Amino acid sequence: MRVGESIIPSMATLHDITEGLSDIGRDSLRTSLDWTTSWWHVIYAGALVLVLAMSPSTYQRSARASLARQLYLGTAPLLPWFALLAALFSVVIIRIVVVTAVSYGLTQYALEMMIRVLVLELIPLSAALFVALRATLPSGAELTAMHRSGVFHEQERSGADPLRHELLPRVVAGMFAVQLLVAVSCLITMVLAYIAVYGFTLAAFGGFTRTLGQIFNPAVALIFALKTLFFGMAVALVPVAAFLRGPQSASAPGSRASPELDGLIRLFAAILVIEAVSLVGNYY
Amino acid sequence: MSEETPATPAPRTASHLEVKATMLLIALLLLVTGAGLYLAYARGAFERTQQLVLIAEDSEGVGVGMDMTFAGFPIGRVTRIELAPDGNARILVDVPVKDAHWLRQSSVFAIQRGVVGNTNIRAYTGILTDPPLEDGAVRTVLRGDATAEIPRLMAEARQVLQNLSAMTASDSALNASLANVQGFTEKLQGPGGAVGALMGGDSEAKKLAAVLDRSNSLLARLDGLVAKADAQVFGNDGLMRDARTTVTSLNAMLLDARASLQKVDEVLKEAKAVGENARAATTDLGALRADVETSLRNVDGLINELNRKWPFKRETELKLP
Repeated sequence: MRVGESIIPSMATLHDITEGLSDIGRDSLRTSLDWTTSWWHVIYAGALVLVLAMSPSTYQRSARASLARQLYLGTAPLLPWFALLAALFSVVIIRIVVVTAVSYGLTQYALEMMIRVLVLELIPLSAALFVALRATLPSGAELTAMHRSGVFHEQERSGADPLRHELLPRVVAGMFAVQLLVAVSCLITMVLAYIAVYGFTLAAFGGFTRTLGQIFNPAVALIFALKTLFFGMAVALVPVAAFLRGPQSASAPGSRASPELDGLIRLFAAILVIEAVSLVGNYY
Repeated sequence: MSEETPATPAPRTASHLEVKATMLLIALLLLVTGAGLYLAYARGAFERTQQLVLIAEDSEGVGVGMDMTFAGFPIGRVTRIELAPDGNARILVDVPVKDAHWLRQSSVFAIQRGVVGNTNIRAYTGILTDPPLEDGAVRTVLRGDATAEIPRLMAEARQVLQNLSAMTASDSALNASLANVQGFTEKLQGPGGAVGALMGGDSEAKKLAAVLDRSNSLLARLDGLVAKADAQVFGNDGLMRDARTTVTSLNAMLLDARASLQKVDEVLKEAKAVGENARAATTDLGALRADVETSLRNVDGLINELNRKWPFKRETELKLP
């Protein structure tokens, strides 16, 4: 009897287990719903921005001023620093590659390797992360805070459109910043790679051009352009998408992470997926 | 989250910001357009090209965009690789018109693949004065594959190693020869020494030693014999002295003989003169004989005449008994 008593659980224990299991189920269901909703918000924000960008009324004087301000303030402060950091980083990588290539007697492949590693992969990735950390994530947090503090309602009451004046300029500025940073850094890196391999001479420009032409075949060039574009979109859209969830999202019960951290994680996931897809496209 | 409203940037003059933003936009546009144009130029989009078709049995390692080099300089670019109906690979190469003069009718094309590194398509032109290669020319490409030599090399190396191991095996001829050499050197060090080693045994070496001893004694006896012969021949009463005396006597005899021969010579001269006289007499005898014969013939005719005229004619007819 004692054995039987120890085996059969009491009704209270069973109830606890059922409660616990249902809690786990509810939590995982809520988490997956939140995850899906947040991605839906990203897509929705993208569609919203696209529609706004297509509409001529976005380019009225007041909205244009806001767009220009975000564009400039989101890019200009980042550009010199990022160009400098990218140049330093590139010099280190280029030096390592050149020294290794010389020691193995494979100098003819050094330039191709540098361009493939730096220009095609590392510079776009680092530009996207730099813009995200320095511009779009703070910008998204600012947008959410404005929403929470009721600034948007005041704007709506005064006849202004917060989507046109606040959301669209931030997204466009984020995308633009990534493109410009990538373009400038790639240019600097290519110049540095040329100097590292050939020295200060223009005599090897023909060979350099030919190597670039071999690397950037149509497929690689298209993948590079699309990757940079999608990096820009991810960096610009994911942080501001939290704003669409409304002001209550930050204080939602059960949410362990802040919306900024949540946005950062989603952004990293998006960048990782884009990078993986581009690698598959380039090398498989 | 703090509830404070983030500080929005201080309002700036809109036109000033717009100009700067426009400049950034133009910069991006220029960079992107420039990059696009440069890549198009790098890929030869603005070059006039002529086509060259290379036929290869195997296009492994050849990729679209790969260079074709002439003397190390890229003068063409692979634009397409396709499989021909006959199973060969057709490699379509675009050669810029400005570089096409390096390719001639007699040019040779080769695909070379190193052990490390990628495949190269190389063009070789021996005679630069040949007619230039026409657009769309089809040429068979040679294959110079460094790795293709490796299996043959390995097979040959294996053969050499097998031979070496057969040579160095315990029952190999080389090993047996070395063993024999060892036995030979042991015999050299043995009591018979080199002679024993050469003759094949100690008993034979002893026989050889006996032969040598007997030869020595024989030579000693020969020495005595020679001394005696010397005394017999060249001694005071030796053979040589008698011989010298004999030769002197012989010289005197030869002088006498020479004088006798001179006398004989004179006698012969005399005899020759007699002979000549006899020949002249013989000639005269011929004339005399002719006269005698004529006289006799006349006498004979006279007798016959007498007989005819004489009454005592004799019966000339013969009667058999």
